Amino acid sequence: MEHNYRKKSKLSIIIGLMVLLAIIVAVVSAIGSANIKASDVYRIILSKIPIINKYVNIENITDAQFAIIWNVRLPRVILGILVGSSLSVAGVSFQGLLKNPMSDPYILGVSSGAALGATIAIINHLEYVKYGFSSITFAAFIGAIISVFIVYNIGRINNKLSTNTLLLAGVAVGQFFTAIMSFLMVVNSNDMSKIIYWTMGSLSGKGWNPVKSLSIPILLTIVVLIYYSKELNILLTGDETAKSMGVNVERTKRIILVLGTLLTSLVVSVSGIIGFVGLIIPHIARIIFGPDHKILLPCSAIVGAIFMIITDAISRTLISPVEIPVGIITAMFGGPFFIYLLRSKKKMM
Amino acid sequence: MNIINLNNVEFGYGKLKVLKNIDLTVEEGQFLSIIGPNGAGKSTLLKLINNIYENYDGEISIYGRDVRSYKRKELARIVSFVPQDTFLDFEFSIEELVFMGRYPFQKRFQNDQKYDYDISYRAMALTNTLEIKDRLVTQISGGERQRALIAKALAQDPKIILLDEPTSHLDINHQIEVLELLKELNKKQNLTIISVLHDLNLASRYSDKLVLLKDGQILKSGNVGEVLTASNIENAYNMRAIVELNKFTNSLFITPIEPKKRDKNASLPSIHLIAGGGSGQIIMSRLLKEGIDLSVGVLNVGDSDWQLAKSLKIEMVEEKPFSAIKEETSNRNLNLMKTKDIVVIAQVPIGHGNLLNLEMALTAINEGKKVVYLNEDSEKNIDYTNGTATKIMNDLISKGMIVFNSIDKLMDYIENYKSK
Repeated sequence: MEHNYRKKSKLSIIIGLMVLLAIIVAVVSAIGSANIKASDVYRIILSKIPIINKYVNIENITDAQFAIIWNVRLPRVILGILVGSSLSVAGVSFQGLLKNPMSDPYILGVSSGAALGATIAIINHLEYVKYGFSSITFAAFIGAIISVFIVYNIGRINNKLSTNTLLLAGVAVGQFFTAIMSFLMVVNSNDMSKIIYWTMGSLSGKGWNPVKSLSIPILLTIVVLIYYSKELNILLTGDETAKSMGVNVERTKRIILVLGTLLTSLVVSVSGIIGFVGLIIPHIARIIFGPDHKILLPCSAIVGAIFMIITDAISRTLISPVEIPVGIITAMFGGPFFIYLLRSKKKMM
Repeated sequence: MNIINLNNVEFGYGKLKVLKNIDLTVEEGQFLSIIGPNGAGKSTLLKLINNIYENYDGEISIYGRDVRSYKRKELARIVSFVPQDTFLDFEFSIEELVFMGRYPFQKRFQNDQKYDYDISYRAMALTNTLEIKDRLVTQISGGERQRALIAKALAQDPKIILLDEPTSHLDINHQIEVLELLKELNKKQNLTIISVLHDLNLASRYSDKLVLLKDGQILKSGNVGEVLTASNIENAYNMRAIVELNKFTNSLFITPIEPKKRDKNASLPSIHLIAGGGSGQIIMSRLLKEGIDLSVGVLNVGDSDWQLAKSLKIEMVEEKPFSAIKEETSNRNLNLMKTKDIVVIAQVPIGHGNLLNLEMALTAINEGKKVVYLNEDSEKNIDYTNGTATKIMNDLISKGMIVFNSIDKLMDYIENYKSK
């Protein structure tokens, strides 16, 4: 039957994208100094898996190469996967929920809250590390949660979430927090470059710790959001229609908003503000895979991950050994590509 | 069997009441149309029945159960809703849209079963959307979109289907097509249909029962012949119409003739108004609405009350712009005043130029006319004559002028005037 065929084709798209991701993981890990082959990356990964490692021969890989891949590049690539997929999934969810194509994961003030939190930590030179997270990460996470909490409460009128009020409150609170951050930056001009670098986002030098502690909450949140894909689809037809079709609109909106901001806050506090991914990848994925969230959410997670690790590889190799903040690369490469897609889609119609 | 009951339902946004005193019963298998002018509360009534607006007063029950006690999914298995002007900006295919209708029957992550498949395809077949099922909803015509939305509502396998203006923005052939489809579903599957319809002729042709709403209240409900009378239409729409039987469709056919003229209401007293400077605008509009025989004067040409009275074609005595009232003008005004039952004085600032207006009121009360003063803002000074106006006012009060502090009290007085 046809619907079986369609389901199979959807599944094969997801599997295809996963394979593509696996290939790109190896390729971007191998890129750079130290002269490592992509196939070596797989051997290093496999050698770390119990049982299988008996059959993997890594004798011709030097210890230095092994350390570069295992201790430096792989955790960075996996963090990139987490950040890229989280931002894309949050972006897809918000765009669907708010029915606004300009929505991105930062629309409710997560980024400016996180930036303010990070700024406060930086200017106070809070440098201790706990559970593998720096104090900057903690402060950024708290800042993000506080700003979203404020925005959410402004946007809630009579216990109902008003989309427009929410969006405007996000802009207003965001601007306010950014203003405070700028003020603090001007007053503490010694730390200015560190703050600016943080706000431009980076995946470098984080090690395995953030990956270990973030992967499970991030994966769970993404799975729960995919769990709500039917509701997200129906919400596109309008709140009242969705209600009449049996969706508990207010509760669903709340859950999706909370999960989306949680996802964003988690990654932003580790990686800084990486722009563009959460706005553009959802649109690109929607153009390619259509509006059905059941396929759109997982696909945009993988596409976001691929995009993130490629741009990160460019950011660390383009003018090596200097690292360019990855947020600059995402916008520089993603922007023109998105414009190209928009134009070619227009021609199709 | 009555399956929907509304008992004394009232709903509003804040103080503004959109619906009040709604009592309504709908029988199983009925085709009910809700008609009435814009803003009468038709869509709101539909949404109340579907529990989209929950904070109403009164009782609404479906199959004997309070609608608010249903879980959303439970209700969606019984009632489906086709909203007006659904804006579909996302590129779902018609098939995907229709399958969404199966949501209330499905568990999370449950894929479409054969049963879901059968019902959705039947819904598309009934609505003639099967052949265009792969087209995107952003790329179809208004008529096709309306049929797709009805297919989605049918995929919910409902017992009751609610439609908000299903024929608006459709060509006449599509209007008839959609309503023929609904009628067929209504007859063959005993589907209960409640539809808001703008077009009285379509409503008369397809409905078993009509509800005529005006200003949030049911003006008349019953079968087509009871509701669609010339006087009910005139009452609801302020428009004269001819109602006749169309032999071809065997249904009542309404031809609008002309906007209703304001009839003078003979049961209410006639009134002469003393106003100026905008003080009489609300009074004029309220009195005219009641159909009261009204005259105004003396007003200076160009005054804001003069402009309103002119455009409302109210009988009026006028004086040249910015000049004091002349003897001759005041005599004409006094003669006009004598033909009326009541003289109403608005809270108009009195200067030497229009002092004669007050003196005329004094003459009138001396001759036994009723004089009424609407003193809405007791703080406001209206005396610009160094005490002369106040003296006349006190004189009027001592001679029995009645003072009201709100327009509503004045209207009450006027409405009960004859019965006193």
